[in-house]
Amino acid sequence: MNNRLHRVTRELRASGRRGLSPYLTAGDGGLDQTLDLLHAVEASGASCCELGVPFSDPIADGPVLQAAADRALAAGTTVNRILAMVARFRDNGGSLPIALMSYWNPLGHRGWPAFCSEAATAGIDALIVPDLPVEEGGEVMEAAAAAELCPIFFAAPTSSERRIRASAAASRGFLYVVGRTGVTGAGTTFDSSALDFLKGVRALAGDLPLAVGFGIRAAEDVAAATRYADLAIVGTALVERIHRAGAQATQAAEEYLRELVAATTSVSSSPSSD
Amino acid sequence: MKHTRFGPYGGVFAPETLMASLEELEDAWRSLWSDLGFRARLSGLLRDYAGRPTALTHAERLSEEFGFELWLKREDLLHTGAHKLNNALGQCLLAQAMGKTRILAETGAGQHGVATATACAKLGLDCVVYMGSVDAQRQRPNVLRMQLMGARVVVVEHGQRTLKDAINEAMRAWVSDPQAHYVLGSALGPHPFPSMVAAFHEVIGQEARAQILEQAGDLPDYAIACVGGGSNAIGLFRAFLEDESVRLVGVEAGGEGIDSGRHAARFAGGSPGVLHGCFTWLLQDDDGQILPTHSVSAGLDYPAVGPEHADLERRQRARYESASDEVALRAFAALSEREGILPALESSHAVGWVMEQAQELQGKRLLVNLSGRGDKDLGTIFALRQEGASDAEVLS
Ligand SMILES: Cc1ncc(COP(=O)(O)O)c(C=O)c1O
Repeated sequence: MNNRLHRVTRELRASGRRGLSPYLTAGDGGLDQTLDLLHAVEASGASCCELGVPFSDPIADGPVLQAAADRALAAGTTVNRILAMVARFRDNGGSLPIALMSYWNPLGHRGWPAFCSEAATAGIDALIVPDLPVEEGGEVMEAAAAAELCPIFFAAPTSSERRIRASAAASRGFLYVVGRTGVTGAGTTFDSSALDFLKGVRALAGDLPLAVGFGIRAAEDVAAATRYADLAIVGTALVERIHRAGAQATQAAEEYLRELVAATTSVSSSPSSD
Repeated sequence: MKHTRFGPYGGVFAPETLMASLEELEDAWRSLWSDLGFRARLSGLLRDYAGRPTALTHAERLSEEFGFELWLKREDLLHTGAHKLNNALGQCLLAQAMGKTRILAETGAGQHGVATATACAKLGLDCVVYMGSVDAQRQRPNVLRMQLMGARVVVVEHGQRTLKDAINEAMRAWVSDPQAHYVLGSALGPHPFPSMVAAFHEVIGQEARAQILEQAGDLPDYAIACVGGGSNAIGLFRAFLEDESVRLVGVEAGGEGIDSGRHAARFAGGSPGVLHGCFTWLLQDDDGQILPTHSVSAGLDYPAVGPEHADLERRQRARYESASDEVALRAFAALSEREGILPALESSHAVGWVMEQAQELQGKRLLVNLSGRGDKDLGTIFALRQEGASDAEVLS
């Protein structure tokens, strides 16, 4: 599979190095700022980026990401403009793997085959759709495969072993592990039960890379999460920082992300050995 | 999961965190719906507590005036004042059998919230109801009723502050507390809700069919109901699906008119997509963003329609029409003044449509589901009449 995300996450998995996957709400602060932020994410040493397409009714998101989506929509952000911005990022030489993240409706309502081919042409590498469980994923998987995009499904603490295996088998690039029950935003404590859950997913997911998200804010969360996962996802905390930094958004984001990248726990031996 | 679709519509478009709860619910639902003990408990409650069967009333004065034969299925007479209790009692009993102690619900008109608060008080369950602030204001009596029965009402200040936003917030609450049971209030959402909610409301059509055969001596030519998410309509329609002579008509909220863009007529103004867990007809823009809706009635003011209706429309087994705010208000006045029934503004849309179509319907036997009573709407009615009166003064 000739796909940036697939290549980068395979390399992480093979080397035992760990990485960071920051989440941005596209169009929050304007798409020109999002373009600058993508370059800042790449410069920070993060492994890939999740680019959120704002949706009017984000049922899996907490207040911070809801407000970011509202601001982005009010600024006139559309799927087409986001794809055009990503194409500019690629024209500028950007090679960071990018996963587009949104709900079914804004991505799928014009038909998945057409959408996947447009997204791939613009320079997108993967799709993450929080209201798409594996049982509804057939159409998306087929269209994604035809366009060489990675479809990414979820594992949650409530998921049965059967479900985790099925989500892993259907995913390419990585499996998105939801660190705790709940919507995005609130903190997650990586206590022993959270770590046991991650260990369990690791055992069920074959050799698929894992990215763990929901509630990661500080260097110590990244360190804990990357003991068992190949990637730590930082979303709400980053979006909040960017919004508060105003004109200094790009610089603030890059500094913060450098600090988190430095906190990833790289392991040389197999992660399941401890 | 099995049989999650109605033709191409429906499905389970839910976050992974909820999938275990949905699978558990589907299992419990399938086994209890065929469990005679459970069914007996539910029908006992519906009879001795909720007041089933509800009456079928011949609306004689309106029939005479308009030249048709109008029969009203009186869900307004059900305890709490709307059909919603059929589903709320059913789901709360199911949740209790599953060992759940916490109940979450959304509400638009407040009738589903009241019904759920009622069922929870009766069965000893904790109850939290999410309601948009616009609806909490226009359906204030229902907020007070919920509180009096011990439910916690959480007012939602996001988005349009109506039913859609209340469902968003209730779903978020469920994602955060998947051990609770979410009592979804209409025949929509992810599987198994559309099938399960419809099954709890089938009793409406079963009773009405037997009653009209007995009281009128024959089947109706038309069975008509208002359609918000579609629960009262599917409860009526299911009993008549095999009766090919019975035409089924769902009436959506026409608001200020389809051309105005201020309405909730999904079939006239929408296209298929995914919202709140199912693939169905939605009001959305070219970018897949959900559009704002408008209706004078909170219960019809919602951008998606239940997936079984989407399939009935596709198969042309039912047709979907709309009635404007104005038409509904005229029907409210007509039923109040000429039949002595204050209908809910939702139900007034169904009656309004038959009044508007009196030409087509001459001599026909019509069965309209009067889904609820209008006490909750008195504030809205009087405010609009005052506005109307002052407009008239300005004009004169
Ligand atoms: C009296 C009444 N009728 C109809 C509705 C619309 O819902 P549904 O289409 O699910 O019957 C409501 C919803 O709140 C209601 O309160």
